[in-house]
Amino acid sequence: MFFLVVGDDGRLVGVEPSSEHVVAQGRLCVKGWNAHHFVNHPDRLTRPLVRRNGTLEPASWDEALDLVVSRLQATQAAHGPDSVAFFSSAKTTNEENYLMMKLARAAFKTNNVDHCARLCHSSTVLGLAATFGSGAMTNSISCMEQADCILVIGSNTTEQHPLIGTRILQSKTKRGAKLIVADNRKIRLARLADLHVRHKNGTDVAFLNGLMHVIISEGLEDKEFVQTRTENYDQLKKVVAEYPPEKVAQICGITPDEIVQTARMFAGADKAMIVYSMGITQHTHGVDNVKSCANLAMLTGSIGRPGTGVNPLRGQNNVQGACDMGALPNVFTGYQNVADPAIRAKFEKAWGVQNLPDKVGLTVTTAIDAAADGHLKALYIMGENPMMSDPDQNHVRKALEHLDFLVVQDIFLTPTTEFADVVLPAVSYAEKDGTFTSTERRVQRVRKAIEPVGESRADWEILCEVARRSGYGRMQYGSVSEVLDEIAGVTPIYGGMSFDRIDQVGLQWPCPDKQHPGTPILHTSKFTRGLGAFSPVEYRPSVELPDDEYPFVLSTGRCYFHFHTGTMTRRSQLLNREERFPYVEISPKDARSLKIPDRSWVYVSTRRGEVKAMARVTEVAHDGVLFMPFHFEEGPANRLTINALDPVAKIPEYKVCAAKIRSAR
Amino acid sequence: MKRLTEAQIQSFLQSLESRYDVWVPVRLHDGTRSLGRRGDGPLALAGGALPQKPTCMFFPQMDVILSLKGKKIEAPAPLEKPLLVVGFTAEDLDCLAFIDRFYGENFRDTVYFSKRENAITVGVTGRCGKEGRTLKVSTGNCDLELVCDGHRYLLVAHSAAGKALANRLADSREARPVETQDFASVLNAIKVESGTAGGDDQALLERASKLLLEDKVPDVFWENLADRCIACTSCNLVCPTCTCFDVFDRKDDDQDQRWRMWDSCQLDGFMREASGHNPMGKEAVRTRRRIFHKLGADPRRWGQITCMLCGRCDDACPTGIGIKAVSREIVAKYGSS
Repeated sequence: MFFLVVGDDGRLVGVEPSSEHVVAQGRLCVKGWNAHHFVNHPDRLTRPLVRRNGTLEPASWDEALDLVVSRLQATQAAHGPDSVAFFSSAKTTNEENYLMMKLARAAFKTNNVDHCARLCHSSTVLGLAATFGSGAMTNSISCMEQADCILVIGSNTTEQHPLIGTRILQSKTKRGAKLIVADNRKIRLARLADLHVRHKNGTDVAFLNGLMHVIISEGLEDKEFVQTRTENYDQLKKVVAEYPPEKVAQICGITPDEIVQTARMFAGADKAMIVYSMGITQHTHGVDNVKSCANLAMLTGSIGRPGTGVNPLRGQNNVQGACDMGALPNVFTGYQNVADPAIRAKFEKAWGVQNLPDKVGLTVTTAIDAAADGHLKALYIMGENPMMSDPDQNHVRKALEHLDFLVVQDIFLTPTTEFADVVLPAVSYAEKDGTFTSTERRVQRVRKAIEPVGESRADWEILCEVARRSGYGRMQYGSVSEVLDEIAGVTPIYGGMSFDRIDQVGLQWPCPDKQHPGTPILHTSKFTRGLGAFSPVEYRPSVELPDDEYPFVLSTGRCYFHFHTGTMTRRSQLLNREERFPYVEISPKDARSLKIPDRSWVYVSTRRGEVKAMARVTEVAHDGVLFMPFHFEEGPANRLTINALDPVAKIPEYKVCAAKIRSAR
Repeated sequence: MKRLTEAQIQSFLQSLESRYDVWVPVRLHDGTRSLGRRGDGPLALAGGALPQKPTCMFFPQMDVILSLKGKKIEAPAPLEKPLLVVGFTAEDLDCLAFIDRFYGENFRDTVYFSKRENAITVGVTGRCGKEGRTLKVSTGNCDLELVCDGHRYLLVAHSAAGKALANRLADSREARPVETQDFASVLNAIKVESGTAGGDDQALLERASKLLLEDKVPDVFWENLADRCIACTSCNLVCPTCTCFDVFDRKDDDQDQRWRMWDSCQLDGFMREASGHNPMGKEAVRTRRRIFHKLGADPRRWGQITCMLCGRCDDACPTGIGIKAVSREIVAKYGSS
């Protein structure tokens, strides 16, 4: 979507938007304009590091890789294959995610492989797979420009997916599409919305059930769609009957009229679309939230057509691809189940191995728990930073300290590498070839612009070398395109993908063969699973609600200028200048009552810990709710969050825990 | 004057590579046109203004402005060869003329002029715009101009350096009088087609400028506009007359380097003081500044509107509030009173 500008000395000096790409259209967000900056930062890791006498010291690649292989093998010999886990990365390419999961499964015989989609959209993958049969964005980004009504729920789209957000914004301002924002925070889109519903954090199921109650009781459902395309409607009807607007209004802290108006506006549109992100997924009832969105879309026939759909916005450059590649503990590529003997037999044949493991492995979150209680002994982390990204930092610290052996493969030292026995220097996106899959299921190329910094190596090369040294000979490739060819051979939804075919603007999966044009919209004439399955769910409150001691709800997330754990954007001049300090949003009313001035330092604490941050007094925050981004090492919001997981998806409840705040003066 | 095919232009430019660092419009793999050296992609003269502002050759997104080795401060090494940059539209050349003034008057920006001085600028104008549009011909503020007649390019030399280069053309046969007359009539026709005076858009900018200077645009207009701005910064970064930069230092093994990089007045940190106080701390104030600077402040300070209507911010703005669009709104809302 953009080109990198390389100076004559081989360093990156800028970016240039692609004016011809169907999505970019010559535009970039602020992070895009600064995407080059961290790549040549002097902090880049340039040599392998090995811990000697408690200190990470430079080592040769041979020494570091031999140590990695011998320690992982020794751990497995002593404690069994599942005593080792592998964290893949949504920031690396499809090919690298494929190779990481192949390494785990074929070479090390464990399904303990997962990545940070666990923390953002694992609820989506499972929730939409259960209802539609396919856990991805149903429509294309261009569909935003065709919708008559857009319900944005739990997504601060103009900040977190800015170019998608601007399409929604333009749909409202230029075409007059109806815009409904259901979000506790007064985000930018809310300023322009026809309806802004500020329901309490964690009450989405009740809210969505309330909408469906109104739609059914007023006869606004799409009867033909329900009749011909779905199943289990009677069960849905029964469950949502118990959610009249008056009752829902009580749960959600809004008025019954807001529910009725929202329901009428959404159901009244010919082409209505749901857009959601982590406000929906990051809850102990994340899968239930996703299913509720799917239920609403099916009830109103808002799926399978341009301008409609259930559209989870995936966050990282390749979080969709990392899931597609089977860097998940229960599936191979293309969501092929590890428990299915026929699927395992296919991969055994393709990979030249026997006895691929059939037991579902550990997730990112349960692996940390297993490390903390001593069951997991060794961990190989590629491009992830759990010390900053996972809930309850003190728990993560204890887990990493408990490990016998930790390998971290990354481009910078991070709080996680503090616990590493070996650090392997990888390259950034600018130094390698491969493919990424965007949120609209578009598989597209990333091209090498500069040579690797120092002795760093591409993740795929490192993984192949680890495989070779561990005695597995079927992970040797002349180029990355050969890896994609292998992926296409074993993955029906990627069957038609190759470097040649995706060269210019990519292709959207499913793309089963070399002639297939790709699929912009899913579920057009039938759902991937056949009939759409209504999956009614009951409202369950969040695990830790405010009380007298911790009277606020703490919700965590991201800000516009930083990316996740900040390792890259905090090393980008303009982005770091914009947000230099950890901060907490608080409403003007709450700030007044606690005598907290804007830009003053405060302590935010929960039952897990305390963090110092700068108060941002803003109308964006709802009374009683604090919001903190998690990018800042010096004020890590995840020291505060609760390690409570969705029972199915194992996603943490980042959006709700109980907190208190006091002035630091 | 000579009339050249693209192939002839290509070999002409190639012949200059021993003396100049030659940059031309090329087509990248997905069709995006960009400035590049020979080999970066096929020549793509036609298509109108490049999405990338060609002034970036003299004021790039990131640039070293000095190095510190031990206790010795060093200026960046001079260019090995002067730049020869092809691909300016008439509007781009007007922008370049303005930033030459900006960086040259009062305080001379040596880093800028280390690239700009001795550079050869080549305009591309005429019947080679996007979707068949005719591009305005220049006012002669470049060294050479390639004016497309719809089939081939008339090579027009404006400066002494340009004339010297034009004379190096392998086919140096002077045009016969009848041809010269033909060239003149083609040029005139192109001028008429492209509306050299600037047309409606220029009048629009002037009306918006007048309304701003007369303080006819109320705060509420900027507040509403700010709701539609996501601070992507594209408007500034694609603008050839935006000259603001931020400065940062980088320490490598053997030296410290001070860099500058394009900055944007749409960012909160642009004018935030160390105390946290910010004279431009509100979105509406920043949105107003972007437009007012070009249409209000610069006319007062420099005697000219500094939007030359290159069209880049209107193309790059993801929410449709580039300077032309905003001017149109200003005139529509406040122009009649």
